Amino acid sequence: MDANKGREVKEGYRYTDKHEWVKAEGNGTALCGISDFAQNSLGDIVYVELSAESGSDISGGDVIAVVESAKAASDVYSPVSGKVLEINSAIEDSPETVNKSPYDEGWFIKLELADTAELEKLMTPAQYTDFLAAGG
Amino acid sequence: MGKRTPLYEKHLKLGGRIVDFAGWDLPVQYTSAIDEHMAVRTNAGLFDISHMGEFSVKGKESQKYLESLVPTSFSKLEDGKGMYSCLCNEKGGIIDDFFIFRIAADDFYLVVNAGTREKDFKWLQANLKGDVVLEDLSDITAKIDVQGPLSKGIMEKVFSDVDFESLERFHFTYSKFNEKPVMISNTGYTGEAGYELFIDPAIAGTLWDLLLEKGKPFNLLPCGLASRDSLRLEACYSLYGHELNENVNPFEAGLSWIVNSEKKYVASDILKKVKEDGPERRTVCLVIKDKGIPREGYRVMHEGADIGHVTSGGYSPVMKKGIAFALVKAKAVKTGSDVDIVIRDKNVGASVVKRPFYSFNG
Repeated sequence: MDANKGREVKEGYRYTDKHEWVKAEGNGTALCGISDFAQNSLGDIVYVELSAESGSDISGGDVIAVVESAKAASDVYSPVSGKVLEINSAIEDSPETVNKSPYDEGWFIKLELADTAELEKLMTPAQYTDFLAAGG
Repeated sequence: MGKRTPLYEKHLKLGGRIVDFAGWDLPVQYTSAIDEHMAVRTNAGLFDISHMGEFSVKGKESQKYLESLVPTSFSKLEDGKGMYSCLCNEKGGIIDDFFIFRIAADDFYLVVNAGTREKDFKWLQANLKGDVVLEDLSDITAKIDVQGPLSKGIMEKVFSDVDFESLERFHFTYSKFNEKPVMISNTGYTGEAGYELFIDPAIAGTLWDLLLEKGKPFNLLPCGLASRDSLRLEACYSLYGHELNENVNPFEAGLSWIVNSEKKYVASDILKKVKEDGPERRTVCLVIKDKGIPREGYRVMHEGADIGHVTSGGYSPVMKKGIAFALVKAKAVKTGSDVDIVIRDKNVGASVVKRPFYSFNG
């Protein structure tokens, strides 16, 4: 079995201790989603409900979505604060996208960052890798 | 740390994700709960069910004793055959649901749930009468299930001395593996053809590995608790602690078909009356119309009124929809009725459908 399966950590992303990621796009906007570890821990994702609405202001730690796997429902939190620019409705129609492509096609929301300094408070890929190694 | 079955190390090696189930450390899945579910529907799956309990009831008056406790008639039970039944308390509530296998007229084998094993044994002990010897064999018994349309082919490769063609549904036979006896029943909890193997824990590991090896050409997958649960839910098999508990009687649980004994047994008068008057609640099958996953405890509404709650819910990999069992007021709805399931404070539309979601395929 691939030792790295379900534990991929991508460069260029920042991570939370609840296994969400945020990726700054350079123009004050950012995409948010859940990590490979999160999708793998959840197992087959069969339902996604994005509760964040386009145009609304949210704070870091707010619930942005509920994902349901074969066994249970889990909340997904926004890693940072900002205005929601876009939600990825495609993952509501094809929830398995989150399993297949957690860092790319499986993004949840796009934000206009309230404060780019918030990113600095989140884990770097190296820190997140250590966090996973320590048991997540 | 919970109790471990003799196959615990095998589960770890296969990448099983271990969770607690009724005090046992068991794999919830190995790779994907949906892949494992579909493997059982189309090919075959292998399950470690060693946590379940097994009791022996022996003696001249065994049948008479069991008949004084269960609502199910023994008239169709013969040597080498099993039947599904339940234990009821004095109020008609269900203490446990279980299988009774008749080895001989004075020798029965009971298969009970892991979470109710101690409680069942106490109940059986407290009600002992006549020439009966009751024994708990759970600690010296492991159990492996082979389930799915291709399970017979795999079993034939491993137990070449058994004529599986003539082993009918609900019947059992014996074979040997590494000099140890193996009881094989044509039964299961998935809605597919399949077998349950009751074995000595000493051979569990070797037998598990051989079944996996011989099952490879049949695309057999090891399967965890998540797929076991979604399979039984699609097939509409009750799960103790969910559809069944001490405050639900067999009529409410949709198990009226196991209440057919003419004898006097615990709660027979009460159950007779429930049958005559009709139960106050009943268990119905619900399918979510669009999207959403019903879960245990969610409220069920009909025309604005709360009519009951979901007892088990989840995602059906076959129907690709959310499905549920719900315990509702008996006369509130019928097949075809529209209801709402309250999911995170929102009403989500569902339909009452005929039982089962998935018909036995075997």
